[in-house]
Amino acid sequence: MKLQRIIALAWKEWREIVRDRLFFSLAFIVPTMLMLLFGFGLTLDVENLPFAVVDHDRSAASRDYTYRFISSRYFDFKGQASDERQLDTLLADNRIRLALVIPPRFGERLARGEAAPVQVLIDGTFPMRAQTTQGYVAAINSAVSLDNMARALSAGRGVPLVEAQARVQPVKLEVRYLYNQSVKSIWSLAPKLIMLIMMLSPPFLTALGVVREKESGSIFNIYSSTVSPGEFLIGKLAPYVAISFTNGLILWALAVGLYGTPFKGDPAFFALALLLYVVCTTGLGLVISMLVQTQVAAMIVASIVSIIPAVLYSGMLLPLSSLAPGASAIAHALPPMYFTNIVVGSFLKGVGWQALWADMLVLAAYATCLFGLGYLLFSKRPAS
Amino acid sequence: MNAFFSGASLRRLRVMTHKELLQLFRDVALMVFFLYAFTGDIYIAASGVSMQLKNAAIATLDGDHSLASRELASRFQPPYFQAAGSAGTPQQAIRHLDDGDVMAVLDIPPRFGERLARGEQVAVQLQVDTSNSVLGFLASSYGAQIVGRYGLEVAALREGLGSGGISGPVIQADTRIWYNPNQNDAWFMGISELLTVITLFAILLPAAAMVREKERGTIEQLMVTPLSAFQILFPKVIAMTLVILAGTAIALFGVLGPGFDLPMRGSLVLFFLITALYVFTTAGLGLLAATVARNLAQVGMLTVVILMPMLLLSGAWTPIEAMPEWMRILAWISPLHYFLDAAYGILLKGTGMDLLWDSVLAMGLLGVVVFGAGMGRFGRQFG
Repeated sequence: MKLQRIIALAWKEWREIVRDRLFFSLAFIVPTMLMLLFGFGLTLDVENLPFAVVDHDRSAASRDYTYRFISSRYFDFKGQASDERQLDTLLADNRIRLALVIPPRFGERLARGEAAPVQVLIDGTFPMRAQTTQGYVAAINSAVSLDNMARALSAGRGVPLVEAQARVQPVKLEVRYLYNQSVKSIWSLAPKLIMLIMMLSPPFLTALGVVREKESGSIFNIYSSTVSPGEFLIGKLAPYVAISFTNGLILWALAVGLYGTPFKGDPAFFALALLLYVVCTTGLGLVISMLVQTQVAAMIVASIVSIIPAVLYSGMLLPLSSLAPGASAIAHALPPMYFTNIVVGSFLKGVGWQALWADMLVLAAYATCLFGLGYLLFSKRPAS
Repeated sequence: MNAFFSGASLRRLRVMTHKELLQLFRDVALMVFFLYAFTGDIYIAASGVSMQLKNAAIATLDGDHSLASRELASRFQPPYFQAAGSAGTPQQAIRHLDDGDVMAVLDIPPRFGERLARGEQVAVQLQVDTSNSVLGFLASSYGAQIVGRYGLEVAALREGLGSGGISGPVIQADTRIWYNPNQNDAWFMGISELLTVITLFAILLPAAAMVREKERGTIEQLMVTPLSAFQILFPKVIAMTLVILAGTAIALFGVLGPGFDLPMRGSLVLFFLITALYVFTTAGLGLLAATVARNLAQVGMLTVVILMPMLLLSGAWTPIEAMPEWMRILAWISPLHYFLDAAYGILLKGTGMDLLWDSVLAMGLLGVVVFGAGMGRFGRQFG
């Protein structure tokens, strides 16, 4: 293996990339654009939920109760509906996601110290949203109930309202949010976006670059030259690794500078992990390009192998603990999951080698295997 | 255009469509992945992915060891929580959280039971790992419900507000979840994945087919034939639409229907018609990208630029209500946004054209605009 040949090949590849202006700019624009778009737009918060109310009671109590929902930033009041039939249409047409039905004699029951039933209808098409909505509704209902109980107690026993409030709520729960004290989703999202975007763009770039030579036939120049397969692969991929690594650093800067995500870990450790990860995803592109003949196929395979697992099986949107065996196997078989542990650890938890060495080892092994596989699949004497 | 509906014109369209289909089917690697995307991939997404809090491991840091503290800790039960034993010391608890062994730690202070019995207000702490903010929220919300319920029962007993159960002026919510009462994630994830795959192919296939002709120069051959720009472009879209509709049918009747009992409450004819319209619209976007790009590598990157925002901002994976205002406006020009409404509406809610007409109209308008722009650019490049 000669260094000179590798450098020459890498230089040739670099020139080819740079000369294709649109491709070269897209190689840098795409990651940054995705980071901005997703960082601002992709939120898992459930807020501004459109809702409507059917108030059969029309008492002061029912208006107070409705107002609790209207004043919450989680809900967006769309108005009163005349009856349940209208709710059907509104829910089916995606105009509201939640509806409250307050039955007659709601205020009367509460005033007499009885429990008052209320009907809550939730659009269940998106289970995550439905569950979060249920959580908000339960929180408001329990706050209203506690208030009512305290008032009833204070009136009945003649104790001050503040004392009554403490007495109806003997156990207080203080929740401490660890690693992300404000539960702002951008903080937990931005580090994972680095993982996602670095999974999307390198395999695409690489697969297209290699298959391009195959499809246009220029790869025969390589076949007939003295360049060895190892030299070809390293020289060919070096520019893509360099571009992607630079992109990774840009994304890191955006996460810290623009989104203000705290970075508590060791920068050198993180840079090494990023490099390993980029080598892995580039290698993935390499293996894909060895298996297919056309660039169309390369794009389809790259997107199915990269986009979907990176979004769904990397722990970004979904908890890994709730994956079924099939999906869990895919998650373990691809690099994003391990890198997610590293980014989350480095950014939010501030842990380093001690906690994450296993993930690093997996990434390193992964990179080696992918390049080994690429080397085996690459033959200078193709069958056909 | 006056010869548009003549026999010769129709035959040209048919022959060109046939050519596109042949070209597609001969790429074996592509077809294998196409089939995988519409079957295996959807199956895995539907069966394997859940966005709910299930059996979250919770450790207890019990500083009291009384009857009351044990009672409270024992209420953190499946399906939401799963007891992961006692944490021992606070340092150990933090380490468990750091390593991700547990998701939450319930910290009950010393003399909890004693102070409760004396009628004092006692605070217990719940430490939640919110690295995943959705799960963190759900865990703290369920935790608050469990502790609140326990507190009310203690208060009810203590204040004599009722024996055992809770009575008093409380709100009794009867919550009903519509369209998916059992909160079966497979329905949502399966449809979402199907729409993702449809979108991916609808953009990529026509764009790639177009640019490949450009790159190889075979487009020049087509240009010297009597075919009009429309007759060159449209067969590509017809061929891809046919293939994608076939894939959709396989996914619906081969995977989601039998495998996950997807209800399919509305009209399936309407669903396939709207899918065809959607593929046509999205293919227009792909063709537009193809007129900008000179080679396939460029098309590949441009596709990512179009595809990813469409997928992530249309509500396929996240709720869009909480997005900033200007993003929601962007979602309006995404055909996927309308297709999502229509697909979930027809399959899960059983809605018909009476409610979906606005989505369909918007999608159709977008399609005409995008397709027209693509044709215009194509005509100027090669006319």
